[in-house]
Amino acid sequence: MAVTSTADAIPGVPTTAKVAAQSTHTNKRAVENQTGRVIRGSLCVPERVKQSDSPPRLTEATGNPTFDSLIMAAIEVRDLKKSYGSLVAVDGISFQVERGECFGLLGPNGAGKSTTIHCVVGALRPDSGEVRLDGEADPTRPSVRAKIGVAPQPIALYEDLTAEENLEFFGKLYSLGGKVLQTRIEMALESSGLAARRKDRVSTYSGGMQRRLNLVCGILHDPPVILLDEPTVGVDPQSRNLIFDSIEALKRLGRTIVYTTHYMEEAQRLCDRVAIIDQGKILALDTVEGLLRAHGGPPTVQVEFARKPAGLEDLGGEWEENRLRVRTERPMEVLGRVAGMGDAFQHVSIERADLEAVFLHLTGKKLRD
Amino acid sequence: MKAILTIALKDLRILARDKAGFFWVLGFPFLMALFFGAIASGGSGNRAAMRIAVVDQDRGPYARAFLTELQKSEALQVREAPLDSARQLVRRGQLVAYVALWPGVGESFGFGGDSAKIELGLDPSRRAEAGYLRGLVTAATFSTMRGQFTAGGGGREMIHQSLASILSDPTRSSDERRRAAGVLSNLERFMTSLDSETVGAKTGAASTGTAGGPKIKVVDIAEEENGPRNAYEITFPSSVMWAMIGVCMSFAISIVHERIRGTFLRLRLAPISRSQVLAGKGLAAFLAALGATTFLLLFAAVVFHVRISNPPALVVALVAAAFCFTGVMMLISVFGRTHSAVAGAGWAVLLVMSMTGGGMIPLIAMPAWMQSVSNFSLVKWGVLAVEGAIWRGFSPQEMALPVGILLAAGVVGFAVGARALSRSEG
Repeated sequence: MAVTSTADAIPGVPTTAKVAAQSTHTNKRAVENQTGRVIRGSLCVPERVKQSDSPPRLTEATGNPTFDSLIMAAIEVRDLKKSYGSLVAVDGISFQVERGECFGLLGPNGAGKSTTIHCVVGALRPDSGEVRLDGEADPTRPSVRAKIGVAPQPIALYEDLTAEENLEFFGKLYSLGGKVLQTRIEMALESSGLAARRKDRVSTYSGGMQRRLNLVCGILHDPPVILLDEPTVGVDPQSRNLIFDSIEALKRLGRTIVYTTHYMEEAQRLCDRVAIIDQGKILALDTVEGLLRAHGGPPTVQVEFARKPAGLEDLGGEWEENRLRVRTERPMEVLGRVAGMGDAFQHVSIERADLEAVFLHLTGKKLRD
Repeated sequence: MKAILTIALKDLRILARDKAGFFWVLGFPFLMALFFGAIASGGSGNRAAMRIAVVDQDRGPYARAFLTELQKSEALQVREAPLDSARQLVRRGQLVAYVALWPGVGESFGFGGDSAKIELGLDPSRRAEAGYLRGLVTAATFSTMRGQFTAGGGGREMIHQSLASILSDPTRSSDERRRAAGVLSNLERFMTSLDSETVGAKTGAASTGTAGGPKIKVVDIAEEENGPRNAYEITFPSSVMWAMIGVCMSFAISIVHERIRGTFLRLRLAPISRSQVLAGKGLAAFLAALGATTFLLLFAAVVFHVRISNPPALVVALVAAAFCFTGVMMLISVFGRTHSAVAGAGWAVLLVMSMTGGGMIPLIAMPAWMQSVSNFSLVKWGVLAVEGAIWRGFSPQEMALPVGILLAAGVVGFAVGARALSRSEG
């Protein structure tokens, strides 16, 4: 199936420049907060990582955008293919993620989201295709990896270590040390709500606590590009909200985020653009609004009557006992007819199409099938 | 280097907190050494006594003295028995051997006697102990002879008797009699001088001294010097290999665990090279192996008086063995993608290596065919290197072979394992 997009697939330079400039601005704002003040419920990392052996392309020492950063996407993927034997996991995927953008990969389990992420970060070698991270063709180079933060789908933590020890270990791998590391650890523990349990082994944590720690371990070094692979799987609502808050804070700081999920609500809430992926292919790629417009179909009016009335047959729709569901471009007309029935109805609602409907429309199946 | 150390320290910290892993690295080898050491030494801290029978058909004073010398040995449990009974007990495997003293054996302790008056009857299935037993019998023989020479002029009396016998022998020519008389007279003068001087450590005996003579320094006899002094000198080198195996398995499984949990992915995504990640894991295993084995051997030295005759050689042996099993660890870690696959295959390989290499049955107690098979076991070369430094008294040239094999195996294991791991990780 061809990729369908209702917006510019490759935004022009001015748009990118604007994003980059915004990103720089928010970074400066973050630096002002580096004394350690934590924005509750979010991860606010105070300063840029300086450990990479080549400076990030995003900004020069002056904090101004470089020419390269104005024209290059943070991530470029072209015709990516990856198979495991006869199983084609990724089948010619292409997309770009702009700087400061939150990009969603939405699809059911086994759609190829994690494989795509692993190819992007260089954990898997693609069969063919090209991946560029910050303009670099080899994501396995340490200088490139220093700019990437990953929260893998499995809870990738050492259970026999405490939260503090896990953070310290991963921080040291990114050449953090001394006061900078300690400050980052404090902030990460605060923002993930784990400060009180910092000395407890991870094996004693709930699933939600482990998920929160899994996330902050991936972004402790304040990378400009963050890849979050299903970061909310199996967590309680409280932890999920905390994770959402953290991601929204990262967005405000101008970080580039790739977010994979099979929860359409998350993609709808967090992502600027969403690629709908199934069986290794991108079926559609656009902003949430664009996708809804193009593939969501009309809103659905749902009316529940005390008993099935006569005289509404011409509205069409589906009856299920006393309940009527009508998909229509003119929901107010339907509501007007229903209102004319007096008090015969008990409940009325208008449901706007969501990404679930988009997925259903594109694949003929539900996201969680 | 900093990243490698960071990874290694993390792994060591996790190992220290993993009770099961810690048990296999230190607890199990320790128990093995104590258990087999206690069995082999009969609980006395010494070599397990070999049960033998002495058949005394001479009944003379020298034969009794010889029997007394044998009974002094803690390595032997001696009982007297008639010849038929002794042979029967050895045949049934109830005794390791019998020592028969034929009539006239007393003369063999003097001059001109028949040296084939002692018969050592061995159980063929206990040939491993034959050399050791022969050494003990020889030691008792010399000890008895020494006793005769040094015990209040008994040696001079023997010389007088021999001289009288030669002078009265009609079959000898006068020239032969004159020469023999000259030799024996000189020997008598030498024996006289011995009575008035210190005998010296080289001829020291288990006896406490000579009647009226100078005190004699008691020293271990030569056979004991070249062999293990107690059972723990055999069981602790084996336990060192068990510790290596424990480390090997713990870290191989930890790599699988990291791959399954996703932490290995995190390590690979960090701005460090893959070789640094693997070197970190390897360094942790290497340090854990060195630490555990050093603790075991220090404990053995302090508590069980295990000799470390050549400390520098021991360091070389331990480093080589730890390096070897670090390589093996890397190889085993790619035997499968699950804990059970790696644990199953790893233990299967290492248990066979241990069984054939001296981890369970001491190398010195193995039959010849098993010693040949053991050449294919890295455990054998590890045990040999450690024993070479502890009690075998290996020269640098003799150490070179086991150490070289261990180092080569380590390089091959690490290279093949690391390559396979890299390929399997895509």
